[in-house]
Amino acid sequence: MSQVHTIHLPLWQLGLVLAPFLFFILAAAGLRRLLHSQPEAGEEPDWSVPKLAGSSGKSPFHRWDVRCKILSLLVYAFLIASLRHLQPALIAVGVSVFALILARTPLSRAAFRFLAVSGFLSMLLLVMPFSAPAHAGDTVLVFGGLDVLGFNLRGLAVAGSIAAKGVAIALLSEPLLNTASLPVTLQGLTRLGVPRMFGQMLLISHRYLHVFRDEARRMAAAMQVRGFRNGSQMATFKAVANFLGMLFVRSFERTERVFDAMQARGYQGRFPETAEMHICAWDVLFGLAWVLFGAALLAFDLFWM
Amino acid sequence: MHISDGVLPTSVTLGGYALSIAILAWSVRRTKSEELPKVAVVSAAFFVASLIHIPFGPTSVHLLLAGLSGALLGSSAFLAIALALLLQSLLFQFGGLTALGANVLMMGLPALACGWLFQCFKGRTRTRQAIAGGLAGALGTALAAVILALLLATGGEDFYGVAEFALAANIPVIIIEGVVSFFTIGFLARVKPELLEPGMGLTIQNPNRNEVPNP
Repeated sequence: MSQVHTIHLPLWQLGLVLAPFLFFILAAAGLRRLLHSQPEAGEEPDWSVPKLAGSSGKSPFHRWDVRCKILSLLVYAFLIASLRHLQPALIAVGVSVFALILARTPLSRAAFRFLAVSGFLSMLLLVMPFSAPAHAGDTVLVFGGLDVLGFNLRGLAVAGSIAAKGVAIALLSEPLLNTASLPVTLQGLTRLGVPRMFGQMLLISHRYLHVFRDEARRMAAAMQVRGFRNGSQMATFKAVANFLGMLFVRSFERTERVFDAMQARGYQGRFPETAEMHICAWDVLFGLAWVLFGAALLAFDLFWM
Repeated sequence: MHISDGVLPTSVTLGGYALSIAILAWSVRRTKSEELPKVAVVSAAFFVASLIHIPFGPTSVHLLLAGLSGALLGSSAFLAIALALLLQSLLFQFGGLTALGANVLMMGLPALACGWLFQCFKGRTRTRQAIAGGLAGALGTALAAVILALLLATGGEDFYGVAEFALAANIPVIIIEGVVSFFTIGFLARVKPELLEPGMGLTIQNPNRNEVPNP
């Protein structure tokens, strides 16, 4: 076809297009509230304590050698991110959900990751169909004669494939990153060539993240007790700025004490590595399977679609 | 905003990774090796700070703090931002795994630029430092939004509308960050002005450190 198909629809049907987005936003807000209201204490294992020999889970992902896991799943992620059409991307989502079920990680963490990427992706889904230029062969829905608000179905397909890819890789990062304790994962990264200091710094950051979160909560509670209300006035911004400044001052001073304490306990630049890593044939084969599957999907996307 | 997977062309994500790793190596080399644990701790503080909601009308915004971290950390800011974004990926992931390199560039480059500008213009009086801080905060977010729009535009003309929308949607964030950075730098100039010196002020021994109360 060498022309753009325009379908004219009455204006009220624009609501039919926007309604799923509204529903999704409300569902996401509800899900977020549900996840945040679950009790936090005692649920998350203390990653700051290195795990000794053995892993806590029994799934194939837990038993997979960390280095093979990171390398093969990262290559798979890049292959999936290169897909162009909707159907292979949806297949990738299905595979990621299957991997999630296989890895038996907590569902709430996967839901958190899904929610975290959903903001950007839903913006894409909403804006792209309305703003994609109309090429020959496209179908454009025009509501109520408003030509500027043309809803391009090809734009929707592009945005949909991107959303599917984003969700697929977001869900996959849960088996990738959460099936071994943080020190073990970082040790695997170090063995793969990432400078050791970087992994050490990540461990320290992660440890003190929780400390600062607690401190921020205490400061926030103190502010509320003194009558602070979160609004959009200048007083709020000033209070938040002072809060941030105090957080930084405390953290800067804490680094001095942290470093002195570490040196007093014999820190000489590296944390001990506690995990033993062995590669067996199964690790390599499983990794190869992921990479080959990703390549097959990409080939399917390039040549058969 | 953080970019998710699948949005950018693969050449852009791979190139983003390559460039980020190069600048990261430079940032590590510019930081003294005994300061590196301290950068890690400060990076965690920035991570927590960026989680704070500031209400804006019906919704709330999260601060990027790219400009502020650049002003406080100087050339180590790129390293701190890379750490914070990696931590985000590990914990709950706003942006994509393949797009991590591009995201680090998007936040790290403005931090470096604004840090350098802040040190140039900060002057000696508290007011001038606060104003320089506010401008650095606003400019940092503005530059990040521009880089975001440019990265999105590499996807082709389908993405131009999305890029413009992302730019426009970030304008309130730019203003709020400018205001908050202004007050934050003003606070720091009053409470602990040595933090505003280049090099994080961590090389300057804090004479009061044994008497700071820890609640």
